Amino acid sequence: MKTIIFVLVIIAVIAAIASGVWVAIALGIATSIDKKKKTPPDTMKNS
Amino acid sequence: MGTVLSVAVVLAYVVLLTFVAVRARAAREFAEFSLAKRALPLALVFGSLAATYVGPGFSISFVGRGFNSGFLFLGIGLAYALQNILVGFLIAPRLRALKDCHSLGDVIGQKYDRKCQIVAGVISVGLCAGFSAVMAKAGGVVLSDILPLPIWSSVAIVVGVTALYTTFGGLRASVITDAFQFSAFATLLPMTLLIALAFNLKGGAETFTNQAIEATSQGLQSTRFIEIVGFITAFLLGETLIPPYANRALASKTTRISRNGFILAGLFSIVWFVVMISLGIIARSIIPKDTAEDLVLLNLVKMIMPASGYALLLVVLISVVMSSLDSLLNAGAVAFTQDIIQPFIKLQNGQALSIGRAATIAIALVAAVCAVFVPSIIEGLLLCYTIWAPAILPALIIGLFVKKPRPLAGILSMGIGTIVAIVFEFTLSDFTGIPAIIPALAFAVLVYFLGHWFGKIKSGV
Repeated sequence: MKTIIFVLVIIAVIAAIASGVWVAIALGIATSIDKKKKTPPDTMKNS
Repeated sequence: MGTVLSVAVVLAYVVLLTFVAVRARAAREFAEFSLAKRALPLALVFGSLAATYVGPGFSISFVGRGFNSGFLFLGIGLAYALQNILVGFLIAPRLRALKDCHSLGDVIGQKYDRKCQIVAGVISVGLCAGFSAVMAKAGGVVLSDILPLPIWSSVAIVVGVTALYTTFGGLRASVITDAFQFSAFATLLPMTLLIALAFNLKGGAETFTNQAIEATSQGLQSTRFIEIVGFITAFLLGETLIPPYANRALASKTTRISRNGFILAGLFSIVWFVVMISLGIIARSIIPKDTAEDLVLLNLVKMIMPASGYALLLVVLISVVMSSLDSLLNAGAVAFTQDIIQPFIKLQNGQALSIGRAATIAIALVAAVCAVFVPSIIEGLLLCYTIWAPAILPALIIGLFVKKPRPLAGILSMGIGTIVAIVFEFTLSDFTGIPAIIPALAFAVLVYFLGHWFGKIKSGV
């Protein structure tokens, strides 16, 4: 029982870190795609 | 030397955050400012949702709760996870499927009428300002622990930096910086737990489990049943679909992403609560037992980390605060423009964008001023939860499922729910021992059905 609780805590730590890494990778991809797509301001539709 | 290092860490973080915010670029139209053009992918919806709900309450306060009452609050926190998962399955896809909605008020306006939209807008703006004041206070407290500054100037720095990138970048900048901040705290705080487990806990798994059992039984003995019911209700409903969450549901790329974003955020909350509570449990064998609840995390980190590590952790805690604050500022500004101004004046795209930006600055100013009057982080948050759930949820949720929602039902539920919550909280709550959220919700639901019935008779349908 005692070991199970401890193992669950370690699994939670790993899951949290993995989530952080996943979002960091997605953020890198999203911002680099955004940079490539960036349109020059003079061609933007005037709102 | 320690101060120089701390300042260097803070500056490095601000530079990095500015770089990320600049990559997000300025919003050029209102649809971009309010909904990031409805193009957010799953990872960003998930990261941003998690970054928004993990504020000081779910980090600093949860570690303190783990310290005093062990895994009791994990059980209560499960109600929060359940809420997110239910919203993911039942509500988020319905919200995303609605067309031309920029805010929660828009949703209520589409389902009921313009008057209901305005009432929902006023409640949304008020709540966002209230939550923002709590976040501003928390950010100021943490920053003044790193830099030798008075609290008012720390609040001004945190609110100023957050308002700057939110004003120009809108929701997209908020989501992008949220994702960055989420990555920082979702990796660094669990790593702190690993360090504590590996190097600071004598006796390993056995000591940890013994401390957990002892703390949990103490927590169960010292908490009354009605208090537990109140906490579960607040965690289940208090933050449900507050404006920043609803905006992320509306801004997702597809209905599927909207649903999965909420489900994943709900599952992550379980993982997060386990990590935070475990930090509190470990702290029991490292720091003095009489440490104040809100200081447990800070004191623990101070004890087990070198000075630079402590400064880095404090910066992470500021990002926990900023990621919630930026979402609230943006959601409040969008609600003000879309639900309070637009129903009276038809705005051009550029005008709406300018008003949204001005509203962001105005809400930030109100939050910074009111931060000084916030009694404590957890009290401030619980007050906001108490008002939000009865004020909006019955009208919103029933409205999404009923075929012909009646405006009378919506307006009565929102009005009476708000009034009962405020009156009960400040007069009868202490006297009766019943958390105000429970009677206020009951009244809001009751008058909703009364309003629906009368509305039906009036329209003859």
